[in-house]
Amino acid sequence: MRGSRVVGTCAVLAFIAALSAEIIHADPLTKPAKRVADIPRTKEGHPDLTGIWQSISTADFDLEPHSPRKDAPPGAGVVEGDVIPYQPEALRKKQENFAARDQLDPRLQCFTLGVPRDNYYPEPFQILQRPRDLTLIYEFGNSVRTIHTNGTLHPEGDNPEFWLGDSRGHWEGDTLVVDVTDFTDKTWLDRSGNFHSDALHVIERWTPLDKDHIEYSATLEDSKVFTRPWNLKVILYRLKDKNIQLIENYCYTLDYDRYYPFPKDGP
Amino acid sequence: MQLKKICRGCSAAAFLIAIGVSLPAGHAQAQMRWVSEVTVVPEGRWSGPRLRDGQPDIQGVWSNDIANHDNFTDPQGGIPGDPSKGLNVANGARKVKPRSERAPSRVSDPPDGQVPFQPWARAKQQEFLANFFNPTRPEYIEPGARCAPAGIPKALYWHGYEIRQFPGVVVFLFNGGTRIIYLDGRPHLPQSIKLWNADSRGFWEGNTLVVDVTNNNAKARFGRTGEFASENVHVVERYTFAEGHYTYRAVFTDPTVFTRPFTVTIPAHRITEKDPQDGWHNEQEWANAPGKPPFYENYERVCVENNHGHGAVAVVSGNAAAPSLKQGGRQ
Repeated sequence: MRGSRVVGTCAVLAFIAALSAEIIHADPLTKPAKRVADIPRTKEGHPDLTGIWQSISTADFDLEPHSPRKDAPPGAGVVEGDVIPYQPEALRKKQENFAARDQLDPRLQCFTLGVPRDNYYPEPFQILQRPRDLTLIYEFGNSVRTIHTNGTLHPEGDNPEFWLGDSRGHWEGDTLVVDVTDFTDKTWLDRSGNFHSDALHVIERWTPLDKDHIEYSATLEDSKVFTRPWNLKVILYRLKDKNIQLIENYCYTLDYDRYYPFPKDGP
Repeated sequence: MQLKKICRGCSAAAFLIAIGVSLPAGHAQAQMRWVSEVTVVPEGRWSGPRLRDGQPDIQGVWSNDIANHDNFTDPQGGIPGDPSKGLNVANGARKVKPRSERAPSRVSDPPDGQVPFQPWARAKQQEFLANFFNPTRPEYIEPGARCAPAGIPKALYWHGYEIRQFPGVVVFLFNGGTRIIYLDGRPHLPQSIKLWNADSRGFWEGNTLVVDVTNNNAKARFGRTGEFASENVHVVERYTFAEGHYTYRAVFTDPTVFTRPFTVTIPAHRITEKDPQDGWHNEQEWANAPGKPPFYENYERVCVENNHGHGAVAVVSGNAAAPSLKQGGRQ
């Protein structure tokens, strides 16, 4: 009897230990990530994020909590604290964007979605990983993003601007921390007109929860638009369908590909 | 600087940038953008470095040796009917050399160097070419001027491009499009799906990457001379690598359009840190890596977002911003 109770206690303790090791808790921005058990790893020992991933959140429809709309399913929101802290003038612009969202959203022109939006847009993306970098290919627009993990710094010089920003990452335990700068001001954060300026600075944290889930969080700073840095967080799911692959979606070509039918035989 | 900034890496808008680029002297490669000789790498064993999954490590930036996409079968011959009378032929060559001194056709078989079109298809190709400089219908505007992916094979002679390798996967990052080539033997996508870059499955044979290509949407032309295939085209590509060169040999089979299969050969060379930035072969930027030997990296490539219409025939709202052909606004 006594012996079996000890075994039972050990089992509970082991279970709790396993839980705490495998679950990354609430605030990844302040707590160092723990080592996650049972995930693919590179030869160097870092998490291997290789795979095809997708968020199933409603973040792309509206980052903030929202009731159902004709053009959006309801969602509890992915913003920490629920509300994006806009400066007054920026809030007015956001409201204008929202009112004209069916015309102004850059996604409607199939323009590169930007960071972080590409990561929660409802189409899959593929991560391919080398020691020196991670290559992220987004099905929407077949956009290609490189996260450099080779110790290089953001570019200097002629004030470059990128639709996906310039991404330099490093590993903190099992969390890939990515500093993203040098943005254009032309991308939106979702379909509801949430936006940023060219002063946007994003810090991403990619933390595997287990072999099939990544907790993706992003801190957004923008001194021209927001009153303070704010955080969003979504879970990325590994797509496991048989033979899953990206199918290129150069959707901007859909506006004109009717001009290029195969030149058929005859008049 | 502004132009450079917005156009960095965008293919259609980049048409203008490389016009009149004077390559810095002092480096053998820099003195000549194109060569006329076709370097052929023989197929055989791979003796170079390998990746952990056993693939030959051929990662890096590569670019074709002989010419851009102006002319598919006479690569250094310019675009027939060019009203600029060859001033911009073959990217900076000021005069068209005699045919015997120009690079041979990319069609290496049949021996006459011509695409073995069925007669009706030859007529369609000629129709596109005849209308290239004065397009009166939307379909006469090359899709690349609208930022469409260059497709196969044209992506291989449209600017330099990067090859990245991963376990079981080879990725081509072209200026005009991206190809993900799976090496794991999985089946092709269902044939009802048609794509600009088609669908690729590959495997390695010694120093040769063999790629089976189907699911082509057949909307891209092979060059400004208008060659094309149909959605039924089946391409078997063989990329044969050596230290600083590789040879692309691909057999195109499409009974809908051609009278027989034909072979396309494209010679290419590796771009290294010794190669200057030239806006064509080498569009990379120097990495910001203090304390390390200088090395290049690629910035993002976007196109439709910045397409201001600098192509041979500009495509922009109302064509208002289009440079005229007199300004040499094409490459």
